[in-house]
Amino acid sequence: MVNLEELKKEASQILKEGKVKYIIGFQRGSNGLLPVPAFIKNPKDVEKLVWDPTCVYNLTLFLQDEKRKKTKEKEPDERPVGIVVKGCDSRAINVLLQEEFIKRDDVYVLGVSCENTGVLDEKKLAKKLKGKKAKKVEFGANDDFVITTEDGNIKIAAQEVLAERCLECKAHFPVIYDVLIGEKTKRNVENPFKSLEKIESLPPEERWKFWKEQIEKCIRCYACRSVCPMCYCDECVADTINFVVTPDTSAEEKAQKIKWLEKSPVSSENFVYHFVRAIHLAGRCIDCGECERVCPLDIPVRFLNKKLEKEAKELFDYDVGFDPDKPSLVSSFKDDDPEDFIR
Amino acid sequence: MAEEFEPKIVAFLCKWCSSAGSDLAGVSRMQYPPNVIPITVMCSGSVSPLYIFSAFNKGADGVLVSGCHPGDCHYIKGNFYARRRIALVKKLLEYVGLEPERFQMSWISAAEGVKYTKVIKDFVQELKPLGPQKKLRRTQ
Amino acid sequence: MEKVLSKKAFPQWVKKLESYTMYLPRKDGDFWNYEVIKNPEIIDLDYLNTVLSPKKIIFPQREVLLEFSTSNEEELKINEVLPEEAQSVIFGVRPCDAKALTLTDKVFGGDFKDPYYWKRRNSTALVGLACNTPPSPNCFCLSVDGSPHSKEGLDILITDLGDKYHAESFTKKGDDLLNLAKALFKNPTAKEKKDLEKIQAESKKKIQRQIKDTKKIPPKLKDMFDSPFWDEESLSCIRCGICTYLCPTCHCFDINDEVTSSSPIKGERVRTWDNCQFPDFTMHSSGHNPRPDKAARLRQRILHKFQYFVELYKNYQCTGCGRCISKCPVGIDIIEVLEKARDYGS
Repeated sequence: MVNLEELKKEASQILKEGKVKYIIGFQRGSNGLLPVPAFIKNPKDVEKLVWDPTCVYNLTLFLQDEKRKKTKEKEPDERPVGIVVKGCDSRAINVLLQEEFIKRDDVYVLGVSCENTGVLDEKKLAKKLKGKKAKKVEFGANDDFVITTEDGNIKIAAQEVLAERCLECKAHFPVIYDVLIGEKTKRNVENPFKSLEKIESLPPEERWKFWKEQIEKCIRCYACRSVCPMCYCDECVADTINFVVTPDTSAEEKAQKIKWLEKSPVSSENFVYHFVRAIHLAGRCIDCGECERVCPLDIPVRFLNKKLEKEAKELFDYDVGFDPDKPSLVSSFKDDDPEDFIR
Repeated sequence: MAEEFEPKIVAFLCKWCSSAGSDLAGVSRMQYPPNVIPITVMCSGSVSPLYIFSAFNKGADGVLVSGCHPGDCHYIKGNFYARRRIALVKKLLEYVGLEPERFQMSWISAAEGVKYTKVIKDFVQELKPLGPQKKLRRTQ
Repeated sequence: MEKVLSKKAFPQWVKKLESYTMYLPRKDGDFWNYEVIKNPEIIDLDYLNTVLSPKKIIFPQREVLLEFSTSNEEELKINEVLPEEAQSVIFGVRPCDAKALTLTDKVFGGDFKDPYYWKRRNSTALVGLACNTPPSPNCFCLSVDGSPHSKEGLDILITDLGDKYHAESFTKKGDDLLNLAKALFKNPTAKEKKDLEKIQAESKKKIQRQIKDTKKIPPKLKDMFDSPFWDEESLSCIRCGICTYLCPTCHCFDINDEVTSSSPIKGERVRTWDNCQFPDFTMHSSGHNPRPDKAARLRQRILHKFQYFVELYKNYQCTGCGRCISKCPVGIDIIEVLEKARDYGS
């Protein structure tokens, strides 16, 4: 069991010792069931920290802000940032290390185990509760969740309300950490790509119909991009300014900028955006599933990333986020990579 | 009789092999269909997936990426990187339901003018029955 | 005009309106969205609020303003494209979303009347649905001069009375819709009127969220432009555009030329929604960005809604629909931000 007190104790100690600048964790919010990110500087505030199945966010996203802030400061505080991570988030740290976006000394990783289960899918829970309102969700003792509602506690098997990505997760515990709270539990996942089968088994025209319908819904709020800890480019092809303009950028350079896609949220342009997003995350997506959770129109964007994760595994035997010292998927190759598709 | 559909192919050819191969086909006066818009790039490894998506977006019926044979890359390993990347792009495009025939990759050396004409001929023949590519094309 | 209609007769009424283009909330997976309906048999007004407000019908995310074409021989041809002249009805508009349209009316109806907006606005009738129970746990209309039974901006307000609907029309557009099916409607009895009052009073009590002392907020915000408050509040913001795109009152747009053919040159001038939360929204061509970070952008969102708009139009530019709260990926809560701002430094 993850002992929350243990997490608080550890957090408070590293803050008191001045080992870290601040700690990024989870705290209760004012709205609904989900927590909000907490940025804790004062050891007294560690009491706010929470850890339960509602902690869905991938906090490693905020390492981007930290890095941007640091590059602007004249005399940056070189101490690491404390960060609470679960299994999938820790793999994000590995990828960021692998890409040298951060250095190992930039983070002090407070790893928490997912208790052999994972995090909650709010929508699944809402359906399960049929109108009743959950006030609190906690890890139970037997791979279940204890849900506090207005009429008392209910126990639900975690499998029934787990986020889709957790059902397919290969490691429910942090793979990189400075402190580990909880245990490294092992659960056998027979097929980590099971959820893909439904779409993959469709005939091509049906598949096209499915994706067109989904991608057409996109309003290009870019939440899937914004919430992704791997989407850290300073410039994005999807923005109307798709290169960084500085006072030195000449008029010619500006005139020659290429407009890769229009701002109009129509199928063809949305596809370019979603393709670029998916391919850019090939071999980098650690399947935290945040892109899909935040989509206001419920577009299953995770299935694009998941597909490429599967192909990376099957074609190139590449696992994402387990080894920060390994070269990345697209910056490496093997002599015998498949080439049966090449003429 | 209705006019036969002539597919438009955007071909990204590496400067050192495939582009030279296409030149050889040209100077040797080999006949091949005029459906290709060749774009010379420095290396097949320099073809960003974005170029491919963009070509389809702007109305290409087919896209070809062609580079040196493995081991012959002017930059030693550019085509190996391309091989991986293109495999992923191909899988992605097929996954959303684009016809697999529309996106091809080939190895064509500077000496293979004949192979170049064959690749293009085959490509055009495969694209003709599919008709115009409307799925990813800018629709308005 | 005040009428009562049995629930069973509702589809019949809708059928009578066939000459109109009709929009109705439709369930799509786990959420509701407005769709054009063709078959009035399967309509259902028992719905939570839609993800995107009816703003998307009156002020669509993409709108062609004009078409252009030219070639070497020809001179430039420009052709204005105005929305089609079609009478439409939107059913089930929540009072907050209708009120939001009265706010965008002010923006698009100043000295220059936006022809695209007004063409749609004038040819669209809004049939509202009163919120007997709040459609979102984050509804707070009462705190921003709204109410779950507000008629502001609506042509007709429908209230669910159990087995029948109470329908009140406030405009000529509304009267016309009711008159098309006169036989279906009855005059309300004294009991029905009493029921209505009761339901209205009760519904106000069901709203769970509120901002206390909203009035104190605009003057307070006036002095907070340079406050470190915004840095603290925006720490968890991820810079996406959900809050603004889903907002029924946000109305910023961008205009781009989209070239669809290069020879001969052909294209369209297109207006699309734009979003103050994106970095390119305020990017100058010099490379300078006056709103360089997420703190400045969060500040802009709050100040625009609760200070600038109040100064300009004497209204909050927020109608309390709660969409930005419910859908924020990291739980940024505009109510909390406003209350903290109100109490900041005191």
